[in-house]
Amino acid sequence: MSLDLDLRLPLARFTLEVKARLEGTSVAVMGRSGSGKTSLLEVLAGLRRGARGRVAVAGHVLLDSEARRDVPPEQRRMGYVPQDALLFPHLTAAQNVRFGARPGRASRVDEAVEILELAPLLHRYPATLSGGEKQRVALARALATDPALLLLDEPLAALDVALKERVLPYLLRVRDEARVPMLYVTHQLGEARVLAQEALLLEHGQVRAVGRAAEVLGTAARGLLGSGEEGEENILEGVLHRPEGGGLRLKLSGGLSLWVPDAPELATGMRAAYAVPASDILLSIHALTGISARNVMAGTVLKVEPLPVGEAAATVEVDGVRWVVWLTSASVRELGVVPGAHVSLAVKSSACRRLR
Amino acid sequence: MEGVAELVLFTVWVAVLATLLILPLGVAAAYALARWDGPGKGVVETLLTLPLVLPPTAVGLVLLELLGRHGPLGRVLDAWGVEVVFTPRAVVLASAVMAFPLLVRSARSGFEEVDPRLVAVARTLGDSRLRAFFRVTLPLAWRGVLVGALLAFSRALGEFGATVLVAGNIPGRTQTLSLAIFQRTQLGRDAEALQLAGVAAVLAFVAVFATESVTRRRGRRVRA
Repeated sequence: MSLDLDLRLPLARFTLEVKARLEGTSVAVMGRSGSGKTSLLEVLAGLRRGARGRVAVAGHVLLDSEARRDVPPEQRRMGYVPQDALLFPHLTAAQNVRFGARPGRASRVDEAVEILELAPLLHRYPATLSGGEKQRVALARALATDPALLLLDEPLAALDVALKERVLPYLLRVRDEARVPMLYVTHQLGEARVLAQEALLLEHGQVRAVGRAAEVLGTAARGLLGSGEEGEENILEGVLHRPEGGGLRLKLSGGLSLWVPDAPELATGMRAAYAVPASDILLSIHALTGISARNVMAGTVLKVEPLPVGEAAATVEVDGVRWVVWLTSASVRELGVVPGAHVSLAVKSSACRRLR
Repeated sequence: MEGVAELVLFTVWVAVLATLLILPLGVAAAYALARWDGPGKGVVETLLTLPLVLPPTAVGLVLLELLGRHGPLGRVLDAWGVEVVFTPRAVVLASAVMAFPLLVRSARSGFEEVDPRLVAVARTLGDSRLRAFFRVTLPLAWRGVLVGALLAFSRALGEFGATVLVAGNIPGRTQTLSLAIFQRTQLGRDAEALQLAGVAAVLAFVAVFATESVTRRRGRRVRA
């Protein structure tokens, strides 16, 4: 997917100005509340009047104010999922999902229902669905239109932590199985890292940074989002495996394998995602032996970035997987944690929380 | 008592026609008032409400002036060979004009309850403005529209002042229940008038009861 943005939209307190060219199939848009993220999505969806400039998605020009072109929302093929789902209350979940399905593309409906596991909910009305279920229906409704681009406006923000963790894996499935490009607004660095290839940081309507997610979602993003209070998580996806001696392991794409808490419903071959808080990881400059934590890994420090509250975030690469580890600034100094240093990481299996 | 059935039938028929006549325009006006927020909105709102508070005879007089053979509208209609004043058409028209504000007010509050963002979502899902209106806005506002139509119908059932001016009180031609009650009392046939009043009360009860039950269910509706 290519997304060409060169737009200006006057808002109440500032002008939203976005000039960027994005190529990834998933883009995270980040910024504090009121930074213009939602307005940007609305411009893309065609729901905001008064935007000037040019917007093109995959070569299709949706807005070109000089050429007086402003494609109406119904012809844009943008799969818009608002923060609060906004399901049609007078329709069942099934009717909601089918609302915008294009004739001759019925398979898209079935696919959306399957990916989001909606079959048991289809006959129910929105008022009887939980927040997470509503979000899944809203996602399916957007997917069923066979969109050129999914616009997700903080699809998890309105949900509490437990529900969030139920929806995130579905987003991963939408990205990987439905293969629809997505633009994803979020506050959460962990979410953005696991979902997005590229990231766009907004502050007061201006682009602060744009580029590959791995590069953009570091110091700049932390400073912008003030993630110091909320904490940060490493989100890991992989395939489960039950070794002969018992227990449960998560195999990551790079070959790394982690012990995770066992649960009877999990079996070899299932895909799963886990969250590990950055502050629950131990870092040592020596090789770790004789330690109770089951996951011990050797890696290399890529960068160390200061956090606002006397702490620092170290990014450590282990077999191609990047871990963010929070330590105190004092530890960083005393241990000599600098880029290039060889370190060991220890993660208790109980610190790995399954997202489902 | 002879002719009561015909009177009731005519009265109900007039009220039904009057309601159907104003429904499309009333719904359009209600929707426009709910969504449009331009200059002069207050003036338009006030004008649309006027028939509710003006003396009905004043409204009837205006209609008479407009539709009479020498009135601006009457002349045009006359050229087409359409006669309105002192015909059943005038009864329908007078009732319609008097009932219009009730329909608009209720339908409008129905439309105002519909979150415009739902319509925006429908647009992104491929619906044109018009299609989104019929698939989202109207299904969500229909109770307000229905209550408005029932209120308008109830109002039309009992219309007197405007009707008597523009349609007269011609038994068997333009006489509705309320006009008949008036006529009977004028003739000193009080017992008959009282019976007709009883019939009118039953009709009104049914109409208002229907309105109330729709309104009550509306409150019970669970919002998403």
